[in-house]
Amino acid sequence: MEDPNLLDDEALVRRTQNGDTQAFDALWQKYSSRIYSLIYNMTSNHEDANDLLLEVFAKAYRSINGFRGRSSFYTWIHAIAVNMTINFVKKRGRRFQMSLDDLDSSVHNDKEFIELTASNTPTREVDLSELQQRLNEAMMKLSLEHRTVVTMFDIQGMPHAEIARILGVPEATVRSRLFYAHRQLQNYLEEFRKK
Amino acid sequence: MMLDEKQLQQLLKLKRFEQPPPGYFERALEEFHRRQRSEILRRSAFQIWFERVSSSFGNFRVPASAYAGAFGIFAVVAALLGTGIWTPEAINRNSTNGLTQTEFSDSGLKLTSRGEIQLSRPETKFQKNFPTIQPSDASRPRYILDRQPVSYQPPASF
Repeated sequence: MEDPNLLDDEALVRRTQNGDTQAFDALWQKYSSRIYSLIYNMTSNHEDANDLLLEVFAKAYRSINGFRGRSSFYTWIHAIAVNMTINFVKKRGRRFQMSLDDLDSSVHNDKEFIELTASNTPTREVDLSELQQRLNEAMMKLSLEHRTVVTMFDIQGMPHAEIARILGVPEATVRSRLFYAHRQLQNYLEEFRKK
Repeated sequence: MMLDEKQLQQLLKLKRFEQPPPGYFERALEEFHRRQRSEILRRSAFQIWFERVSSSFGNFRVPASAYAGAFGIFAVVAALLGTGIWTPEAINRNSTNGLTQTEFSDSGLKLTSRGEIQLSRPETKFQKNFPTIQPSDASRPRYILDRQPVSYQPPASF
């Protein structure tokens, strides 16, 4: 039997629809990291991100028979994750705690990370964990809509068109939200730099 | 000096490195399987079917043109009613007549040709449509006052 990890999304979805649970596991392995990152950067909490990740995949599994392939699986599962996270954050309201204190320990050896932190940026002079905390605080000051597009564009590196498809809004709206979100973040972080 | 766009994007890229500890996703997948198994045991077949159906409806997005169409229909109907080109007359007439008759018959008052006001048993629409059995005069209770009250009779003599 063919290794599910070598199949494309369409084939994996079809197999899952036919009851192949290993095919869905392959989809999990492919997308769980991205979905986790999306949820985590929207909620700013690892425990919430963990719970929501499981719920998102559970919902995707239950609904996969209704998936007709009008969009890619990638778009579809991201849309589920965004909608569920937005609902969760709205319900949670103000009562939450940030748990944004743990960079992956292996990250300090990562080439891209070293380049980012060693380059001539404001990050060089400040303590990394403090900077991380300030950045996350600034993110949490953004509205949910703005935080979502910043997460998808700046952190996850999605193109505008893909974000627009996932959110179901025009591309111009995505660009506009990004513009205002960046302006707000610049102001918040500027205050920190002055200290 | 304010952070420029490039500096901000570099800062945000740092957040890509905020990852859960190694082995997290494997453990999470095991947890996912465990929850799936317990959910199957816990939930009835109907619940699972209902959720699948509702989720397939949830994926349906109403196109923007549908809102415009609905507004257009509303505007046309409002214009037709406003200009008087079309009015639901038949419905109005029937309902108005019905109300007047009911109000009058409910009050049970009749003005005679001699100017007297008579109180009569109101006849409802229901009775017109569905005649009911009325009690005859013979079966109605009759109350006859004696000529002389009982208290005025002389006490019986033994």
